[in-house]
Amino acid sequence: MSQHDRTHHAKIATGKGDPQCFKGTAGGPPKFKVGDRVRIKDLPDIFYTRCQVYTRGAIGEVAVITHESPAPEDEAWGHVDHSEWFYIIRFKQKDLWPEYPDTFGNDSLQTEFSERWLEPA
Amino acid sequence: MSHDHHHGHNPPAPMVDEVSDFEALEIAVRELCIEKGLFTADDHRKFTEFAEHIGPTPAARMVAKAWLDPAYKKLCLTDSLAACKAVGVDLLNPTGFGTPSDYTDVRVLEDTPTLHHVVVCTLCSCYPRPILGFQPEWYRTPNYRRRLVRWPRQVLAEFGLVLPSDVEIRVEDSNQKCRFIVMPVRPAGTEGWTEDQLTEIVTRDCLIGVALPKPGMTSNVKFPVHKAAKPAH
Repeated sequence: MSQHDRTHHAKIATGKGDPQCFKGTAGGPPKFKVGDRVRIKDLPDIFYTRCQVYTRGAIGEVAVITHESPAPEDEAWGHVDHSEWFYIIRFKQKDLWPEYPDTFGNDSLQTEFSERWLEPA
Repeated sequence: MSHDHHHGHNPPAPMVDEVSDFEALEIAVRELCIEKGLFTADDHRKFTEFAEHIGPTPAARMVAKAWLDPAYKKLCLTDSLAACKAVGVDLLNPTGFGTPSDYTDVRVLEDTPTLHHVVVCTLCSCYPRPILGFQPEWYRTPNYRRRLVRWPRQVLAEFGLVLPSDVEIRVEDSNQKCRFIVMPVRPAGTEGWTEDQLTEIVTRDCLIGVALPKPGMTSNVKFPVHKAAKPAH
């Protein structure tokens, strides 16, 4: 008989939603604030990640501090005891794709990261 | 039935062309759940019917309401759960039965005359299903997912949307637990319109960001039939 409680997530998320059910579990305030310049780390990943290769090493700006949640790289293994702050980061398209045309130099892209992927830039 | 039809010349098409690993996995998990009594086959059918009939209308109404009411617009941008509830979608209990089936951090992306948002999920096909329904097929394709982040203007042009260079195009790659709805700019020519009229022109594609709302362009519009330039006959 498995000792794993398969209804754990349903129990904590009902009536609150996910990721709202992880509110207050990151163990402190967010390390970055809106407007901060950050570089995306190129960390090794095993089995699962949501940090796209096209963003790794790129520099962007914190646009929104979204919520607290276990990182997907942990959640994929069933490790949900530790949460992190999540951030929507805004990049200039020019900083992601060197061949992006100058005519459209204002174009941007936003995507989300957990705190472990960010370092001050 | 005619007597001159041919028997046996063409083998019948197979019932199932190919079952993918994921389909086999889904069937196995579903049958296990039914065997264990977690839900019945009829519950599953009901849920599928429910999930497949949700459409983008609540989100369209949300945008129309926001165009008319600045206080509601503020609510959309600051408390989307309450804003969704006001158009009849409770994200915490979207089905009315069972537990939340989707992530519930929904964010409304507000367009301006110089900023246009478009949403993609490069990892799979993340989409605010309780309020927009199921994704269109193209939204799930690797073609859209891979190309939109890198060549957004080319991809939008393929949808018939060409924007000038003074409009910033902002791609939102929905790769984590946030889900996004685009709130387009209210188009000219809609002055004095009611909420119902405005709701009609906010089609699904406008809410993803691959189209702009236009007076007369509704999801149930009767499209004109154009004569072919070089007809075959």
